[in-house]
Amino acid sequence: MQDKLSFYIHRDSPLHRLNPLTKLTLTFSLILMGFLAPGYWTATFIFLVVLLPFSVWGKISPEFTRTTFRLILPLTLFLFGMQSLFYPGGKTVLFSFWIFSVKLEGVQFAYLTASRIMNMVGSFLLLLLSTHPSTLMTALTQRGLPPSLTYIIVSTLQILPQMRNKANTIIDAQRSRGLETQGSLRRRFGALLPLVGPLVFGSLVDVEERAIALEARAFKAKRIKTSLLLIPDSPAQSGFRLGLIALTMLAIGSRLWF
Amino acid sequence: MPNAAARGRAGSSNLDPLSLQMDTDAHRQKIVDRNLSTIFYLPSTIFLSVSIYGLYLWLRKNCMRIHIDNLHFTYPSGVRALQGVSLTIEPGEQVAIVGQNGAGKTTLVRHLNGLLLPSSGTVHIGDWLTRDSSVAKLAARVGYVFQNPDDQLFKGNVRDEVKFGPANLGFTPEQIETQVDEALARLELSEKAAVNPYDLTPTWRKRVAIAAILAMDTPIIILDEPTTGQDYYSVQHLAGLIQHLRQQGKTVIAISHDIDFVAENFDRIVVMGQGRVLLDGPAEAIFAEEEILNSTYVQPPQLARLAGRLDLGQVVYTVDGFLAAYRQRNPAVSPVKPPISGG
Amino acid sequence: MAIIEIENLTYRYPHTSQPALRDLSLQIEPGEFVAIVGANGAGKSTLCYTLTGFVPHFFQGELSGRVHVAGLETKEHPLEDIVLVSGLVFQNPFNQISGAKFTVYDEIAFGLENLGVPREDMPARIERAMALTGITAMAERSPYALSGGQQQRVALASMLVMEPQVLVLDEPTSQLDPLGSREVFAVIRELSREGMTVVMAEHKLEWVAQFADRVLVLADGQLVLSGPPAEVLTSPLLETYHIGQTRYTTVARRLQAENGWPAGQPLPVTLEEAEAGFKAALIK
Repeated sequence: MQDKLSFYIHRDSPLHRLNPLTKLTLTFSLILMGFLAPGYWTATFIFLVVLLPFSVWGKISPEFTRTTFRLILPLTLFLFGMQSLFYPGGKTVLFSFWIFSVKLEGVQFAYLTASRIMNMVGSFLLLLLSTHPSTLMTALTQRGLPPSLTYIIVSTLQILPQMRNKANTIIDAQRSRGLETQGSLRRRFGALLPLVGPLVFGSLVDVEERAIALEARAFKAKRIKTSLLLIPDSPAQSGFRLGLIALTMLAIGSRLWF
Repeated sequence: MPNAAARGRAGSSNLDPLSLQMDTDAHRQKIVDRNLSTIFYLPSTIFLSVSIYGLYLWLRKNCMRIHIDNLHFTYPSGVRALQGVSLTIEPGEQVAIVGQNGAGKTTLVRHLNGLLLPSSGTVHIGDWLTRDSSVAKLAARVGYVFQNPDDQLFKGNVRDEVKFGPANLGFTPEQIETQVDEALARLELSEKAAVNPYDLTPTWRKRVAIAAILAMDTPIIILDEPTTGQDYYSVQHLAGLIQHLRQQGKTVIAISHDIDFVAENFDRIVVMGQGRVLLDGPAEAIFAEEEILNSTYVQPPQLARLAGRLDLGQVVYTVDGFLAAYRQRNPAVSPVKPPISGG
Repeated sequence: MAIIEIENLTYRYPHTSQPALRDLSLQIEPGEFVAIVGANGAGKSTLCYTLTGFVPHFFQGELSGRVHVAGLETKEHPLEDIVLVSGLVFQNPFNQISGAKFTVYDEIAFGLENLGVPREDMPARIERAMALTGITAMAERSPYALSGGQQQRVALASMLVMEPQVLVLDEPTSQLDPLGSREVFAVIRELSREGMTVVMAEHKLEWVAQFADRVLVLADGQLVLSGPPAEVLTSPLLETYHIGQTRYTTVARRLQAENGWPAGQPLPVTLEEAEAGFKAALIK
């Protein structure tokens, strides 16, 4: 049973050892450049020339390509299809059937959108596969992200799967009292409150206890928090991040001025 | 003779004394015949009725026998939770299941109402095979009180909560009201019927959960860790409740870590370890097997341990049992003894 | 000089009409192991929360009287100061796992991070806490993958690492199986032996009898009995307070009623005392 929601795969690679902020900056830069930089093939270029090699460098290329095929490709194919068929305007019809006509401009636009989205999802995937959530959150907290926000994000990753266990127990308990959960939509709808009710009320009890436990561990103390985790950084990475930000600014600028 | 009687009857106005005599004879014969048939048929009718009723009772009793045959169960994660459990529980038995966490106790009882289906082997609740019945259907025969009451409470007041189960089972409104009232009274919740369950303390929420299952009037009741977190008063109350259920002829199956409670309230104890039944029998037999109990981290009851230390030679687990064994071993310590002088 | 002093404490939760604790006064010396027994609803949890500052700071409500824990007057100090000197462990092991950390080691470090302890100082403290609770072998495992007894020991370690002066436990084993209970009680006993002041609310009288130096009995928010286990747990008043007794006491009392118990021999509360007593009854 998976006890946390996380894409992270532990490997010993240079990519993994990069400072999480560097990877975060890279992710957002690549996404923004993919959407904003001029050039029809920019997003495709980023995916093939940046993301894929980085995944090899991070020793996660098998998982990266696998998830790409399973997750991204169907999504982008769907988008591609939708855009091709329903693109308004456009003059050059490639072929038509029934009431639909596939136009060249539509196909071009569709490819542009699809490649940008693929680039975006791929960038996030690269980040999540190579960065432990704890590490990322600690790095952000050290840069000023409120600890409460960090806590909410990280604890959700672990507690949500546990809530699924609780939900299953509740379903079992109510079925044991004769509640039918299979069958018509109406019946399933009626089963909603007996299933959601205990989950919500029970969670309120749990949340209060957890809040007490957190306070007992000085979570709300007004001190500067330290971190067990040492997150290595270097001037090179720092410079690299600045460089990426500059590039992104250029990409944004290119949109405004051209 | 019949002809004469027939002729006599045919001419009813015939006042021939002989025919009258024959009429009376016939009449008397009829009465005798009738009495004879009564004498013959009445007992046989009674006998037949009793037999049929007895058969019905026997069928109904056996209807609620739990039969587990060579049950194996492996979770999707690969954990082999049950490795060949065979068990029969007759209607009306009180059985406690003990053993360390992970021994398979909860996994086993979840097979009884169909929440889990065997990987191999069969589970029969009476004549119903669990594999062929839905959980909701089995709920008519098996009531399962979950360990955490918060896993089932969702209604705005106690009464509605307790009504939920019987309403699902399709009782008539009158039956539901009766059953709910009885369950509330039994758990001392009658005065709290209008309260929101979540406004009650956890101890009382547990009572609501039990009442909610009792109101379903199932012949079999499963209690999962009923004494966890309960104080002395509640544990006493629970013991009384189990007695009451015994008198009603219900089958009660309880999983519990409180070995003293188990020893004092259950005739039959099933000890599980590592997915198997290690011991199954009355308390005397169980508590003598110290090594097996140790292997599944079950400690004998307090008095059993004391008896062991005092070399009483018997397995005891109740106050009366202990004192009897103690006196037997030490006749000098008699029940009615004058105050010790110069002690 | 008492480490815990409570004078005339009366406390009422918000939106309730009856006080949960009434005119309570008690003193606890450093290093004492004090057990609190009482029926559910008697105020055991409330007292535990009071000793750790959650009453009144977390629960609000009305508190009158003095509560003095390890040098701090709880009404006058913020909760974050009180939790440093007085650690709380309660019933549900699962809800005490922060959820913010993915390994036991990091989980224990959580409190130290919140306190701003320098990184260099953390490993020593964490390892000591793990050794005290016997969970060193589990350092790299996820807290969610552990048994209840193990999780409860992680909760204990998470408190101990902050080096409190008082450890307050609210029915720490009630959700645990016998093995888990045994593990947790063993840790608590060891901590007490090493000088920690321990206050523990508990229903399992056999354990209370074995470990506690003193037993406090609460009923309806009031402190009604206080004394050594042998005295308190054999008091005939327990029945009125809906508190049971160990089977050892029950069976000895029965024998006593039939004049079989040696005069002058106190009623037993533990297995050892019962063994001694019943053997002495034979000699007579």
